[in-house]
Parts: sequence; C-alpha cells; structure tokens
Amino acid sequence: MRRIDECRRRLVALALLMASAAAVAASYPLIGQSAPDFALRAFTGDNVRLSEHRGEVVVLAFWSSDCSTCGAELAAINRSFSTYRTAGLTVFGVSVEDSRRHARQFAGAHRVGFQMLDDPTEEVSRQYAVDSLPMVVLIDRNGTIRDVHHDFGPQDEAGYRAELRRLLDE
Amino acid sequence: MKLSTFRALLIGATILCAALPSGAAPAVPEAAPSTAAAAPASPAADAASPAASAGTSAAGSAPGTSAAGPAGGSAPVTQSPSAADTRALDEEAQSLKKDVVDLNRDLYVLEEELLYPANTQVAVFLSMDVGSFFGLDSVELKIDRKEVANYLYTPREVDALMKGGVQKLYVGNLKTGSHELVAFFTGKGPNDRDYKRGASIKFDKSIGAHYLELKINDRQHRLQPEFEIKDWGE
Repeated sequence: MRRIDECRRRLVALALLMASAAAVAASYPLIGQSAPDFALRAFTGDNVRLSEHRGEVVVLAFWSSDCSTCGAELAAINRSFSTYRTAGLTVFGVSVEDSRRHARQFAGAHRVGFQMLDDPTEEVSRQYAVDSLPMVVLIDRNGTIRDVHHDFGPQDEAGYRAELRRLLDE
Repeated sequence: MKLSTFRALLIGATILCAALPSGAAPAVPEAAPSTAAAAPASPAADAASPAASAGTSAAGSAPGTSAAGPAGGSAPVTQSPSAADTRALDEEAQSLKKDVVDLNRDLYVLEEELLYPANTQVAVFLSMDVGSFFGLDSVELKIDRKEVANYLYTPREVDALMKGGVQKLYVGNLKTGSHELVAFFTGKGPNDRDYKRGASIKFDKSIGAHYLELKINDRQHRLQPEFEIKDWGE
C-alpha cells in the first residue's frame, strides 16, 4: 500500500513537472514563429547573420557572467556541438551583459568551439524575449523557433541531445 | 506590418482557392456572367474544363473508380492513367507555385509604392569596387543628423559586394528641400588596422524619388581606400 502511495506521489510530481515545463514553453511567445533575424559581432571571428544559417539547426544560448549555471550549460552545449556539428548543427552563444569587459573575459575563459556573439545594445535579447538566464532557443532548419529552455541542471543535457537529434533528423 | 499580413493572407487565399477540387472550376464562369467578355469566354472555359478535369478530377476523386461506364466498374485500374494524373497534378502544382510567386512580387511592388511614394522616396545604395585596401565591417547612415541605418556586414555579404553586387542600404521618405547625408564606414584598413572614415553630401530633394550611392573604391596610388557619395538625383 505504501509503495502504491509512493508511486502515485511520484507520478503526480512528474505530471506537475511536465505541466510546468509545458507552461514555460507555452508562455514563450515566439514558439512556432520565424526566428527574428539579427547580425552581431563575434568576440573572435567574423560577424554573424542568423539568416545565413537557414537550413541548419541553430541553437542560441544566451548567457551572462553573473549567471551561475551559464558556464556549465555552455560546456554541455559545446559537447553536443562537437558531436553534431557535421550533421548541420550551429551554435551561437549570445552575451546579455552590461559590461563589455566582463563579457569578453567570460567568453575568453569558456573555451567553446562555437562563436560567442556580442549584443551591446541588447536588441537581440529583447527580440528573443530573454527574461531569465541561462536561456536556450532551438531553431529548426526552416528558421522556426521550436523550443526554449530556461535554467540548466546536469540532468538536462540528455534532454538537449535528444531534442537536437530530433531536429537534425527532420 | 499590416501590408505584410495582408500579403500573407492573399497568398494563403490563393493557395486555398487553387487547392479546391477541380470540380469547382466550372462554377467560375457561371459566377461572373455579367461582363460581355465573360460570355464568349465561358464556352471555351467549359470546353477546356472537362479536358482539364478529365486529368485532374479523376485524381481528386477515387483513383480506383472510373467514370467510363460499366466496363470501368469491372476492369482493374491500369497504371497509365495514374501516371498521367500525377503529371497533370504536378503541372498544376507548378503553375500554382508560379502564380503565388507572381502575386508575391506584385504585392511587394504595391507595398513599396504605398510605403515609399515616389514623390518622397529617398534610396541609398552601396557598392564596392575592388576593396583590397578595406575590409568592410559596418556602415552607419545619418540623414539630417538622425541615424536611419546601421548595417553590419558578414563575410558573405562583403564577397557579394566585391563581386559587383549593389546593396539597397536604406529606403525612406523625405520632404522636398535641402538635406544632408552622412555615412560612416568602419572596418579594417591597410595593414589590417582598424579603420573608420566618414563621407557626407548635401542634396536637394525635389518631387520624385531621389537616389544616392555610397561607393567604396581603392585609390591605388595612395594605397588607401576611398569613400564617396554619388548623387544620382531623380
């Protein structure tokens, strides 16, 4: 009897978790819409325009040096990027930072294989309705925003990978 | 914004209309009998529509059934009509695509005409000749001290410009009279140094669209880039 109660409690907790995740995704206004185009300078390398990457699965990872989990998330995304870059995955880290110096230091300290972009006017963050950090936006090959993730925990990496695989297979 | 929504709705409506079963096609001549021109056209349309529907409506209805009479009911369906149907359907889809593209172009032109009427329109273009002394990064454009455009270039865009492409950098509206255009070019200059230069021009806007061109050239004897603004007038 106790085991059934425990099982029931877990199921309720799981349902609540899924409902809250769905609510977060549903509350994001841009899901299903065309990803707003932008052009940004990279901390190192060439300027980037999003529309030039149509046909690729694009991940936008918004970060700030103040955010405690951004570094871990960027490292996790970098692992996925190393695996799937040849399959058509493109990742951009986008700085949401008031201080250019801190942003540059953070970008330099986190060695990742993808480009880190500077958004000095925070125009892109506004376009993508970034309300908390870290935030990851997944864009499919047609340029449509498919999903958004807030926060990051070690258990999320497998979910990211599964989702990326699904988008890459489309 | 409203115009683009309108355009999307129109395209959607066109697609929907064309996606209707071809059996609905004969209704069109009947629906518009009021004009004199439509009357003689309708027999032709009626004559044409069975021919078209022979290919398409069979595909729209059950492909396994045949309207050929009792023989059609008993005989199994052969492969050749199906292939013909597919071809006809494919042709129809292609013509539909062409219609949508044409409509989109017309609506784009209409949108431009409405947003930027010819009597107030000012357009600024950018071109690049050779460009070996200057790696373009961005252009900032000010008209009458107000920033109207700030464009960041990617390597692909710079390549396109160096191959002879001309970019429509800005289009807007201005009143008639005297105006000043200032352009700031940033990028990498000779010896890969950060480089920022400005160019300005005063121009008189009269009735009619006004065109200006920002030109980036190489000044070979000085080994420096050269920035000029050419006034093409109306």
